[in-house]
Amino acid sequence: MSKKRKISLSEEELVQALRNREKIAAEALYDMYSASLYGVIFRIVNETSLAEDILQETFVKIWQSFSGYSPEKGRLFTWMVNIARNLSIDKVRSKDFRNQNKNQDIENTVNLIDEQNSTVYKPELLGVKDLVKTLRPEQRSILELVYFKGYTHVEVAEELGIPLGTVKTRLRMAIQELRKHFN
Amino acid sequence: MKDAKAYIETGILELYVLGDISHDEKLEVEAMAEQHPTVKAELREIERSIELFAAEHAMEPNEDLRDRILNGLLTNFADDNTFAPSHRSVAEEAKVVTMTPPQNNFYKYAFAACLALLIASTVVLYNLYNRLEETNTRMLALSAQSQQYSNTVSMKEEQLKVFRDTSYRVFNLQGQGKTPDAAMSVAWSPNHKKVIIDLDGLNLPANDAEHQYQLWAIVDGKPVDLGVFDAEADPKEFMKVMKSVDKPQAFAVTLEKRGGVPQPTMANLTVIRAI
Repeated sequence: MSKKRKISLSEEELVQALRNREKIAAEALYDMYSASLYGVIFRIVNETSLAEDILQETFVKIWQSFSGYSPEKGRLFTWMVNIARNLSIDKVRSKDFRNQNKNQDIENTVNLIDEQNSTVYKPELLGVKDLVKTLRPEQRSILELVYFKGYTHVEVAEELGIPLGTVKTRLRMAIQELRKHFN
Repeated sequence: MKDAKAYIETGILELYVLGDISHDEKLEVEAMAEQHPTVKAELREIERSIELFAAEHAMEPNEDLRDRILNGLLTNFADDNTFAPSHRSVAEEAKVVTMTPPQNNFYKYAFAACLALLIASTVVLYNLYNRLEETNTRMLALSAQSQQYSNTVSMKEEQLKVFRDTSYRVFNLQGQGKTPDAAMSVAWSPNHKKVIIDLDGLNLPANDAEHQYQLWAIVDGKPVDLGVFDAEADPKEFMKVMKSVDKPQAFAVTLEKRGGVPQPTMANLTVIRAI
């Protein structure tokens, strides 16, 4: 397979093109954000085919309800990742998924192998380890629970047995550490 | 109005970015961001961090997925009236895979075809069966006929053998008493001591069910029983081999009780021939 040329636009250009419903907007949208969104979705649902379906649903929803996005309120990615997270969390919490998961050990193993074979991790993954090291364990666990397990801060508080205020502060600290790291 | 810095410190902006707040809180954050540039700037920073965090955890989805998803979007896209043509030059046209409509009808047609084939086969089989039956009947008739012919032929051969065999002597027996017109032929071979009567050329008055003709040979002046026969013989029988006799002086036929009697009833003498 020849490597496809990826299309990249500035966020403003992309938003404009999406509003005009241009074909190139769909392509750029996919090329720029599919990996980031897929990373989030996959970590929440932890199953390749389901994650692929949700990624597709996410793009359909972005495409169809794009008029609901306003740049003044936030970045495009924030809006999109919340769509992806909500779809993923809905799926994980649905009765079907939980029942399915009870007897899926073997399939999960297959998916794991599949994942190793077909999913290309970004080289920055090495950076993630460093990143994770820069966070304190309690910050990391909160970030992981919220971001990759789809917990609400209320659920995190219950899970860890700590007050809601503490959850919020730790989350804030964790994100501040991230900001330092990225700067 | 809340103090911007304290508001930021509550950590609500992070929850806003993560989409983990109530509708009222959401409106509140948006109002705050509207009023306080610092809040807005903080929000953008948090968003950027989260975005970079996600980018670091990015996973490339399967390559096939790109076409699948883009086709899905662009199919809807084509239906969409608000579709606007691209103003930009697209370096590479998106690969559009023509989606063949699902072949749901295939099994329907296949089933119908199978059914039609089954019916056709049944009709053909039924016809074949009938013809086979007919052929079997005809074959039985033919084999019976051929059996009859072969019987006839073997009988004729037997007869021919008698004619060819020079040792046979043929005697024409003459009508006597009540039946002056009666006549029949008896063949006798001194070599084989065999006696054969000709049933085909027989000319005797018909006998009834209680009576039969009996052939006698006169040996040393005494009558010797050579067996019985009917005047109206089975049409298939042309001749009949009688009991053997050595040195007969005469052949005679009397009409007797069915099955024959030990001594001839001379009153019923039909034909006779002395040798």
